[in-house]
Amino acid sequence: MIQGLVKIFLFQALGEVLSKFLLPFIPGPVIGLVLLLGFLIVRQQIPADIDLVGSSILAHLGLLFVPASVGVVLFLPQLRAHAAGLAATLILSVIATIAVTSLFLKTFSANPSGDEDGR
Amino acid sequence: MAGDGVPDVLPISEIWVYLSGSPLAALVLTLGAYWLGLTIYERSVRNPLANPVLIAVLLVAMMISLLEMPYAKYFEGAQFVHFLLGTATVSLAIPIFKGWGSLRGRFLGLIGALAAGGITSIVTALGVGRLLGLDQMLLGALYAKSVTAPIAMGIAERIGVSPTLTAIFAVSTGILGAVLGRYVLDFLKIKAWWQRGFALGVASHGIGTSRAFSVHPQAGSYASLGMGLHGILGAVLIPYAFERFVR
Repeated sequence: MIQGLVKIFLFQALGEVLSKFLLPFIPGPVIGLVLLLGFLIVRQQIPADIDLVGSSILAHLGLLFVPASVGVVLFLPQLRAHAAGLAATLILSVIATIAVTSLFLKTFSANPSGDEDGR
Repeated sequence: MAGDGVPDVLPISEIWVYLSGSPLAALVLTLGAYWLGLTIYERSVRNPLANPVLIAVLLVAMMISLLEMPYAKYFEGAQFVHFLLGTATVSLAIPIFKGWGSLRGRFLGLIGALAAGGITSIVTALGVGRLLGLDQMLLGALYAKSVTAPIAMGIAERIGVSPTLTAIFAVSTGILGAVLGRYVLDFLKIKAWWQRGFALGVASHGIGTSRAFSVHPQAGSYASLGMGLHGILGAVLIPYAFERFVR
């Protein structure tokens, strides 16, 4: 478990360094993600230690954005003033996004046989 | 409080003053609230409306206002949890890799759909938001709302908008997509599981993905692919486009 954590931290650190010196507009952890993905693709499998640690962290991904999200208390007046507008914006936008993405797939990709169909 | 002959007992408020100086108070509050959120979520048979993050955020926000603990003070302790966001972002390579095989033969279609969906997400949010009179600060936080929250917050920092508001909008979008997705997809007669899953992952990232997994494994694996690719491409393209067209 410790090995896996060290490896993931190393990818994260490498990403931070590259972000700092080479690709300042991409967040360091995303560069770390791409590096780890490249590593996994080259290896053609996920080392057990990385899988154990990574999957455990991801299982509780939600917990990790609680501290930042609690900062919402600082914005309550604005959020309250625009509550209806915000709700409408978020709802319409997510409906449009789902609709456009799925219609694009339906229209532009041939459906090879052997696919499971739903509903 | 020491009276004559009465042994010294620390009043509760003094214990609290002591505890609130250490990161423990914030950590216990955060983990405890999330634990309660998870319990409620499980009890509700994983109803997306009973989202554990939302419950935890509401609980902690209420608690720190009751305790009159300033947010900065809370964050001093909670930052140890916050730090792991970067590590979690790196770990997203694992589900993306697991869905990687599904890309074969569909790469162009999926990337095209992702680009169309990603652009739709931003354009509709900003368009409708502006029409409804949202101010600049709120509008700015809408850019990355369909990207998975840890990456969305990184993007927010890069483009100079509030990571907190971005995280809130990302979580809300995830919940809305998970709740509304199937009605939209049924209405449009989208039948293939992979198309339904991918659309959910692109529009409503992690929360939509876990919804997709609970409906069908193929939908889930395409949803994680959609979420992951949107995360990577969003992190590269949103700051670039922002720099180009908005500044």
